[in-house]
Parts: sequence; structure tokens; C-alpha cells
Amino acid sequence: MRRTATAELGRYLLQGRLSTRGCLKISQRAVCRQSSLRTSLAGASRSLQTASTSQPAGPPIVPLRKQWRDEAKQAKKHGKGKAKKDSQTVDGWELTVGIEVHAQLNTSKKLFSPAVTSFNDDPNSHVALFDVAMPGSQPLFQNEVLIPALRAALALNCDIQKTSRFDRKHYFWWDQPSGYQITQYYESFAKNGQITLLARDGIAPQDGDSVTIGIQKVQLEQDTAKTLAQSDDTQLLDFNRVGVPLIEIITEPQMHYPRTAAVLVRKIQMLLNTVDACVSGMETGGLRADVNVSVRRQGDPNTPLGTRTEIKNLSTIKAVEDAIIAERDRQIRELEAGGTIAGETRGWAVGSTETRRLRGKEGEVDYRYMPDPDLAPVVIGEDLVQHLRQTLAVSPDMELDKLIAEFGLTAKDAVSLLNLDNGARVQYFYRVLNGLETMLQANAGGEEMPVLKSYAGVVGNWTIHELGRLTTSKAGPFSQVELDFTPGGECAQVPDAELSQLLYQLYTKRITGKVAKELLMGLYLGDLDAGILETIESRDLWFQELSTEEYNVQIDTVLEGEERVLHELVKADVFPQRKLMFLIGKMIRSGPTERIDPATAEQLLRTRIAELRAGA
Amino acid sequence: MRAALTRRAAQSSPASPRCVQCLQRRRHSTYNHFITQNERSPEPGAIRLAVKDNIATFNLPTSCASSILAEHPSPYEATIVQQLREHVNAHVVGKTNMDEFGMGSHSLNSAHGPVRNPAGQDLSTGGSSGGSAVAVQVDDADIALGTDTGGSVRLPAAWIGCVGYKPSYGMLSRYGVVPYANSLDTVGLLARATTPIRASIFDSSIYQLTDPKDPTCLSLKTRQRCIKVTPVTLPDLSDVTIGLPLEYNIAELDPSIRSAWSQTAELLAANGATVVPVSLPTTPEALCAYYVLAPAEASSNLAKYDGVRYGVRSTTSDAAGDTLYSETRGVGFGDEVKRRILLGTYTLSSDAIDNYFLQAQRVRRLVQRDFDRVFRLASPLHEPVQFDLSDMPDTTDLQDKTGPAQVDFLLCPTAPTCPPRVEDVKTRGSVASYVNDVFTVPASLAGLPAVSVPVRSQDQGTAKHGVPASMQIIGQYWDDRRMLALAELMERLGV
Repeated sequence: MRRTATAELGRYLLQGRLSTRGCLKISQRAVCRQSSLRTSLAGASRSLQTASTSQPAGPPIVPLRKQWRDEAKQAKKHGKGKAKKDSQTVDGWELTVGIEVHAQLNTSKKLFSPAVTSFNDDPNSHVALFDVAMPGSQPLFQNEVLIPALRAALALNCDIQKTSRFDRKHYFWWDQPSGYQITQYYESFAKNGQITLLARDGIAPQDGDSVTIGIQKVQLEQDTAKTLAQSDDTQLLDFNRVGVPLIEIITEPQMHYPRTAAVLVRKIQMLLNTVDACVSGMETGGLRADVNVSVRRQGDPNTPLGTRTEIKNLSTIKAVEDAIIAERDRQIRELEAGGTIAGETRGWAVGSTETRRLRGKEGEVDYRYMPDPDLAPVVIGEDLVQHLRQTLAVSPDMELDKLIAEFGLTAKDAVSLLNLDNGARVQYFYRVLNGLETMLQANAGGEEMPVLKSYAGVVGNWTIHELGRLTTSKAGPFSQVELDFTPGGECAQVPDAELSQLLYQLYTKRITGKVAKELLMGLYLGDLDAGILETIESRDLWFQELSTEEYNVQIDTVLEGEERVLHELVKADVFPQRKLMFLIGKMIRSGPTERIDPATAEQLLRTRIAELRAGA
Repeated sequence: MRAALTRRAAQSSPASPRCVQCLQRRRHSTYNHFITQNERSPEPGAIRLAVKDNIATFNLPTSCASSILAEHPSPYEATIVQQLREHVNAHVVGKTNMDEFGMGSHSLNSAHGPVRNPAGQDLSTGGSSGGSAVAVQVDDADIALGTDTGGSVRLPAAWIGCVGYKPSYGMLSRYGVVPYANSLDTVGLLARATTPIRASIFDSSIYQLTDPKDPTCLSLKTRQRCIKVTPVTLPDLSDVTIGLPLEYNIAELDPSIRSAWSQTAELLAANGATVVPVSLPTTPEALCAYYVLAPAEASSNLAKYDGVRYGVRSTTSDAAGDTLYSETRGVGFGDEVKRRILLGTYTLSSDAIDNYFLQAQRVRRLVQRDFDRVFRLASPLHEPVQFDLSDMPDTTDLQDKTGPAQVDFLLCPTAPTCPPRVEDVKTRGSVASYVNDVFTVPASLAGLPAVSVPVRSQDQGTAKHGVPASMQIIGQYWDDRRMLALAELMERLGV
């Protein structure tokens, strides 16, 4: 399932050139790679950004879990925690939503000039003559842009159009140097797609187990320049972004709940990431959404859809849901008060509770779409489509199924794993799992291996929760340091090989969970002078479990003075598990903690009680 | 070369605009045909090349004769200029005056004032490449570059009395040519005779060169296909059939022009050529289609002139006035440019596009089919179309029962009249001017090569201005070379 860098693939598919360097890279990779079947279903080669792309330095990415937590906190603060569930419907009214998602394609070149795409480079350092609309310069379509664009369209199950064309959309704005944007208005390159949202994706409960949303079309278009507003009335312009290739994904108006609409945007983002089509997530500005909202009275299915308004430029998933709710409620208020809805464009500020009017129909520009006379039609060969279809990364849904069914992760954990660190965390998970598995195999020495789910679950738990705990506020003064993952799943602070070693020792009960957690924290903070194994050895952290006799002595000690509890345990018809746990806790607290395995303790305690029950 | 590039790069920075000026001089040329001139004299043996002001050159500004691009130093050079410098040792002598952005038929709509006709100061030079035509006519240049969108090279050639050649669309690179209407724009050449034009483009092999910077410039593959199916040499006149399109014999045709046309046809026939009447039924609609399509593309192409990145910017805020940039664009553009922008903006608007823009595109296809039907050579660009007699208008003349005659070239006047007086042009208004393009526009819509050559008419009416009538030869796509050979032959025959 290796995917090739766009530039390289482009040279091969579009110009028939095969780079020897690339071939060597392939063979090396094949050797290094674990042969294990489950190695990275998706995005194993996410790191293969096109060669000349400047690496985005980017604003710090807020981990999804942290974001959720913060959002939950905020919601609690505003007493919205409960309200949100109820906010999905309004009695007597039906909401209809269609969405346009703009995503920046992962390419090294701009759409119509060979200038390099960049993220945070010096302003105006990657600008071709055409990018600033220099008189006499012409657009040069960069074929390699098609590769991520087609991947995206295929991931959205679209029909790829053999012939598509470019049109000019005219309007004056200083971030648009030509006075028009080149887009695909009349004939787009992909049409009639669909995306299925499942309950586990988090859709509104009213949508049931799953809902399928149609994708009207996907079109290629240019991004605009970046405006840098200065304190005085000046606007500075950075043309690095102008002409960078975008795709616009236009859905059918088939969503009826705000939550589902937000989930759609999140799922599109995840899909585009998985198939290596998109540069970055919504939070870093790589994805923007416009939503069209209308309401009509429930009951009569023949009622035409209400007048729609468009809310422009939503840049977070939360904003999508909040803005839809606010706009729906505003429209219903207007209509219930006997008013009408004007077809207009509205805006949404993060943290606000109301959409605000930007411009009405009368302020609408007639875009005067005209076929671009300089640009030939784009003709896409079936062979290219077939090749990309075959090499397309596995869809997140399939990977999610596998994580749950084979690796025994809970649905919630599996979703987090796929979403964390733009998909890098799940790569890290596979790496750690591979390391652990290799050690277990060596240890088994031909004997039967333990059940996959048993140790994969441990790896899942540690790569999601224990690793997540490191960066929370409880972790002390260094907790601000976020974990850095490469797209391939390598982590500088907690190398996967070290975590494999740690989990191997833990899983085979050579160290306790407490020691393991401390070692992980030490590793993260850089406190360990040597590796995990050496540290355990040098500091003698091995788990030296009590012998059965020693356990029994401990049990005798603990049971002293606990006759009442013991009596209940022996006599009760329904076994009081909590009482048993109380005794185990007491045993661990009173005894040599570092030498007690709660599981063994429980087992021996149960044996003792069973004997008493039998004797009673 | 590298040093030169570095220097040029420095010039393009706003800090050193003086360097641009030290290499140019705004000298008063006799007929106001130059906007700027190169101070350096050409080396001996170099070809003196005048360049229309909408074609990018180093050292001399590229202003398209517009205030909005006054003194605009182009940071790069047009491919065609570079090719002529490298392949035929051309030396750029200056930038020629023109109608602003190529919009006009008389070279009057210029920020630098009108170009004057050497044959008579009160006569129109034709446009929009009037400055280029005058530059070669008065021997300030050996050849001149113009641009031809709907006749802008051929019309001034006809009214000045020189040769004006518009090549097949896509043969010569447009990179560096400021677009007026991209789908029609071509780089054309003017000279006192046909031979220097043929030599500079065909003997030099420039016509074979591709340009990856111009997406509409034919690719190597297409070029090879065209070269393969198009004969190179003109056969003996006895094997040449020349068509006279009946629809061009309009009521408005000046009698002296009509007589020059028939004299030319008779002379060719006397020398062995077969001359037949042919029908191009869509001709009457072609002019209307042109004046919908060209302004539509122009309104789009000229949207970039906002003064933000280059060019002249209004001193008031960009947002002053009714809409963004209205001040800058209001001051910067001349009246004719504004008229065409408004026209194009309207025909592209959602209410009008079906009735105007799309309709005009359909007419354009019909015009091109008309030509394909009469030419003996099939177009190398399209699949051959089977023409059914029943699809042809009843007026179509049939040669025999298999259909109408097929021809190698079409012969018709370049313009319906002799050069009009500037005063009359001004009083009649702009729409009347559009009519002058009626014979040149069809070849532009079809992308075909055409050349305007002066003919010596016996009629005293044309000779009174000293400007001979001019005939236009139109060829099948890529048949430029044989078409120019026919023009040269006509010159030799003393047509």
C-alpha cells in the first residue's frame, strides 16, 4: 500500500519518467518495512510530501483530545453541556444544510505556475509572473496537481470526468490579482460522489446508524493571496498563497442536523488526510467550509425548501455546528414572527452566538463565469484513474473496523487513535505494536503466542491514554511540551522502540504498572540516562513478586480484624466484588507494594474465600 | 547576458526607474508612430525591428498606449522578440504607438495621441497597429511586430500601403503579448514587402518553435502533424484555385476597391489561376460575433489593472467612488477601452450570456465551418467534416453535382473603403468604426492565416491619396507559407 510522492508519481504517470533514486528508495523501504500484515493500512507514506514543498512550520497543533476537553470545559462553564444534545432539533421545523468545503491540495507547485507552494516562508518569496497577473504572462496548468485532486475525488466516491475545463470567476478584491479566480464552474473534474457517516463518527442520534450524503461535484480552483492587515489603514499582501491549488467539495443539501453537518466536515478532513490529498487540517487553515442553511415547517414533504442563507468561511468543526444552530434558530425566529428570510451571505465569529449579515442579494456580485481562453481542457486518462484507485490508501472506515475487531480497541479509542496528531498517532501505535510483537515472539520461542487483543489492547491504552496523560497539567512544569510525531509515526520524546520495551516488560509482568508509568514519565522528561532496559536494571526496578507463602501471610494479616467483611464474603448469595476489591486494596497498601501483583493477590484471596465458603 | 539580466532585474525595482528612461527617449517621431525609441543604434547587418507597445521588451516600457500602464517596465521579454533577436539578428528600434490595448481601427485611441498617416495628415492610419505600419512605411524599421485580434495588423497595412501578415492562431508565441482577447490575439508582422516577413519567420524556422510558456502555442506534436499534412511550396498558378467570397461584395464596398478586387482576380486568372466564386454564408454574422466575443474576453483580461501591483494608481483610496478601484480604472482607461469593458461585462452577465456570449460562440463555429467547406486542404486541427448539400444554404453556388468548388486561397479586399478622414471617423462615432473590420474578422474568428497586400489599381480614385487598395489572401490553417508565397508572386506579377 505504499503511496508515492506526488512529484515522483506525476513524472512517471504524466511524463513516463521513472527516477532511479525513487526505485532505490522503494527497495530500501521494502526491506525496512515490517512484513506484518497489519503494518499501517493507511497513510504509511504520509511523510512523502512532494519533494520541493517547504515544510510548514505551522502554528502549534492543538491535540484533538485537548481540544475536546477544552470544549467540554467551555460548554460546562456556559451550562451548555446538556443543551447541545437537545439543540439538534426544533419541534415543528426541518433544517436543511448543504456544505462547500475548500481544501488545500498537497502539491509542490501552484495550480497554474511552477512556483513552489509554501506555508510560512518569507512573504512574496514564491511568486511567478502569472501569480501577480503580470501583463502578458499566461497560466500553465501543472499536471501533478491532478494526483492529490483525483485521490480526494476517489475517496469521496466521485465519477471522474474524462474532460473538464477551467472558467474565470470575476470579482474585484486585492487578494485576487487577476480580477478573477480560475475555477471549474461549468465542467468540474469530479461529480456524483457520496460519503457515508456512521453513528461512531458522532452523527446526530436522529440520523440513526448511518447517513449517506451526496457529493454534487469536486472542482479545482486557485487560492487567493494572504492579506496582512496593519495597525494603520494599510493592508500588506503576501502572494505566496495566490494560485495555490484548492479543491472545492460541494455536497447535496441532504443534512438535517447540525451535528451531522459538523461530522461531515470532520470526516472529509480525515478522508483527505488518509489519501494524502490535503496539506493540513482545518485548524491550520488548510480547510475552510461555507454552509448553506434553510428551514421549513415539518409535516408536508411537498413544501419547497425555505430560502437559504450562506455562512462563509467557517474554519473549525465546532464553528460549523454552532453557526448552523444559530442560523437555524434565527431563521425560525424570523419566520415565527411572521417575517421572511432573505437570501444573503452571513458571517460567523468564533465564540459568538449569532450569525451576522455580510451582504444581501443586492450586494451580490455577478461573477460572469467565462471559459478561460488560454487554458485547454483537462483530459484525464482512465489509466491514471485506475492506478490511483488501486493505490488509494484504505479508507478510515475500514481501518477503524480493523482496530475494533482485530485489535480489540473500543470504538471511542479507535476513533481517537485515528484522529490524533493528523493520523500520526495510529502510525506510532503500529510501530509500538510491531516492536512488542517481535519481543513476544522471541520470548515465546515457538510456544503459542498470547491472544492479539490482549497485548494490542495494552498498546492502544498506552499510546492513547498514558501518552495523553504526559502532557496534561498534572504532569508538572514540563507538561507544556507537546509530543511531536512525524507523519510516519516517529516520536522524538518517547521513541516507539522504548515504549515497546517498556510494554513488553509490563505485559510479561517483569515490572509493575506503577513502575511502568514512572518510567514513561522519566522517558518523556528526558530524566533517564540510559534506555528503559538499562534503567530497570541499574535501578533494580524489576518486579520481584511475593511467593505464594508470602502472599498467604499477607492475606492472614489483612483479614485480621475484618471478620465482618469476611463473613459477608462467605455468606452472601451474590458475591460482593466490591468487598473483595477493598481487601485487595488494603493488602497492597499494607504490604510491600512494589512486590504485589493485584491479579495474583485477587486470585489467592478468592481461593481462600472459596475454601471458607466450601467449609461453611 | 547574465550581467544584462541582473541589470534589468535592478531596473524593475521601483527604486531605479531612471535607468529605464536613460535607455529610451521620448522623441517626437514625425507621424507620432513611436511611443519610445531605443537610443542605441543597430549594429551593421542587424534587422531593425519596431515592436508594438503591447509586446513586452527589455529596456523599453510596455504601456499598451494606456495611461494605466504608463512607463510600465516589463520584467521580462516576449518570446517572439527574443526569437527574432536570436534567429534573425533583430534590433529593437522602438515601441510603436497604437490604439490603447489594441482596441480601435484608426490608431486614434492612444494616451500618446493619434498616429498620423504619411499619405495625408488628415487620413486614418488604420488600427490598432498603426504605429508599426507607419514605422516600416517610412523606413524607420525593416519589419515591425503588431498584434492582430480582428484585423489590427491587416487594416493599418491596407491604409498605409504596406504588407501585413496575421499568422495561424497558435503558430507564434503570445507569451509577453498583453492580451486583448486571448482566443483571437495573434502576433502579426508588417513590412514594405512580403519577402522580409517570410524570411524572418519561415526561412529562420521560427514558425517551428514551440513555447512552453504559452499554453495556446502549438505543441511539438501538433506542429509536426500540421507540417506533415501541409504542402510547403506553392504549385504553378495553373494548379491554384482562388475563391472570391460572394458575401464580401457588400453594398458598402467602395467602387474603387471593388474594381481593384476584380482587376486582381482577372490578372491572376490571366496568369493561369482558376478563379471561382465561393460562398461563406455566415460572413454577415461574423462581425457581430466578434464584437461580442472580443469585448467579453477584454473585460476579463483588463480586470487585473487595479494599480495595486504595477501601473498607475489613483491618489485617492482604492475604495473611493462607487466600487473598489473605480477611481484608478476610471482615470487610467480611455473611452474606447471603457466602452468595450462595459460591453463585455454586460454580455457575460448572467442575464445576457445565453443571448450574446454563447450565441456568438456558435456563430464562431459556423464561420470556421464555412472556411473548412471551401478550402481544398482539410484543417489539420479538426476531424474532417462531411458536408451535406442539404445543409448548405440555397444560395450556395455549386461547381458541379458533387458540390461547390473547393479552393486553395480566398481573395477579398482587406477593408471596404480607402482610408477615411480622421474628422469623419470622429464624427461618425465608434460603432461606425467597427464596420471597417468586416473583412478581417472572419479569418480571426476561424484562426486562419491572412495577409494584406497592396495592389496597383488603375483606378484614379484610390491613387488620389497615394494609398493603393489592398487585397487580403486567406489560407487554410497552417497554410501560411504558401499563402505568403502567393503574396510574393502577386508582387512579382505587378498586380
